[in-house]
Amino acid sequence: MGLEQLLPAIAGMTWQDLVMIGVGLVLIYLAIAKNYEPTLLLPMGFGAILVNIPLSSALTQIDPATGQAVEGVLNVFFDAGIATEIFPLLIFVAIGAMIDFSPLFRNPSLLLFGAAAQLGIFLTMMFAALLGYDLREAASIGIIGAADGPTSIVVASRFAPALLGPISVAAYSYMALVPIIQPPVIRLLTSRKERLIRMSSGSGKKISKKALILFPIAVTIVAGIIAPSSLALIGFLMFGNLVRECGVLNKLSMSAQNELASLVTLLLGITIASTMTADRFIRLDTLFIIALGLFAFVFDTFGGVIFAKFMNLFRKEDNKLNPMIGACGISAFPMSARVIHQMGQKEDPYNYLLMPAISANVGGQIGSVVAGGIILTLVPLFA
Amino acid sequence: MTPTVEKALLIAGIGMAGIFVFMAVFYLLILALDRFLPYQEEKPVEELSEDSVSEEEE
Repeated sequence: MGLEQLLPAIAGMTWQDLVMIGVGLVLIYLAIAKNYEPTLLLPMGFGAILVNIPLSSALTQIDPATGQAVEGVLNVFFDAGIATEIFPLLIFVAIGAMIDFSPLFRNPSLLLFGAAAQLGIFLTMMFAALLGYDLREAASIGIIGAADGPTSIVVASRFAPALLGPISVAAYSYMALVPIIQPPVIRLLTSRKERLIRMSSGSGKKISKKALILFPIAVTIVAGIIAPSSLALIGFLMFGNLVRECGVLNKLSMSAQNELASLVTLLLGITIASTMTADRFIRLDTLFIIALGLFAFVFDTFGGVIFAKFMNLFRKEDNKLNPMIGACGISAFPMSARVIHQMGQKEDPYNYLLMPAISANVGGQIGSVVAGGIILTLVPLFA
Repeated sequence: MTPTVEKALLIAGIGMAGIFVFMAVFYLLILALDRFLPYQEEKPVEELSEDSVSEEEE
């Protein structure tokens, strides 16, 4: 009896499998040692190991004796949770239950940064198209710039399932790297004088409970009328928020924020890993996607900061915006707001930018979901 | 410029404009809600909460 019969996994191991196991170990290291998005990167890292051991029963395999396919649990999870978009949409319910929209009511104009800071999505899509990707793949790569994992997963699983693994890894990795990516771009685009601008926090203003309850309902109806294709994304987010704000479903709201979020995140991470097999991942495409993801985050930041500078052209001298706030229009919440607040304090310890930064960041959460919905609507019309 | 890039450019233009339209509508919505439903000292919703708790327990 040879090695092939005794230890078929070792006999069937290729260098690509070993590289992917190494990738899995790196993701686990980043999650544990560096605390980079551990809730997603750790399951994805472990899953990458799980699916790259030859003949892994976690994946569907052909039984040599019968010639029939034996379904692997990760494929079952993928078909049930990702292909149907159930997992990312459930995550949206949880995120909706976590979001407090009252900072937006205190500084509503900052909502517009949630639009400006989506620039990276579309520039990256064009760049990916220039590199030869088809429109659906280019849109899926561009959506990394939404800085919003579930939106990236929904778009990529619909338009480019083969690229889902690298797109998810890029999206979650760069979200964790916001404190490293954004500051140099912001410093490049702003003067010290601009970074010293102080802004009113508006934190004293109280918001009506009725307004907060009506907001998710009205947003859902408006979004549904303008772009019905965006309704699954926006609707689930707003449903979660309504559960939070209605005041009569506190137990459900807490469950959505805690148990639902934890359970689905756990399954989401390890299920995405089912696409991280060596044959799909060890390709030049993966390097391109990782590079394009960085490009998207840089140009999101660029879009937000430049838009803030543009808005300042029309504002009075005593009412200027600190352009760094524009960078919070990305969806990475609340990390981006925290980064900008810290940058502001580094320049002037008495400059408190946290509240306006949070407002723009909440706008970014809406903006990223809207961007995902628009991409889902537009791409099939042109592809 | 390939047809794919041209289409991507078109989607980018419409997409960015679309996001600004959406956000502008949401901005107006917030202004309207804030104007027509200003903050007032609200009565505690204990009665409602108790009802929901008893429903959930059932």
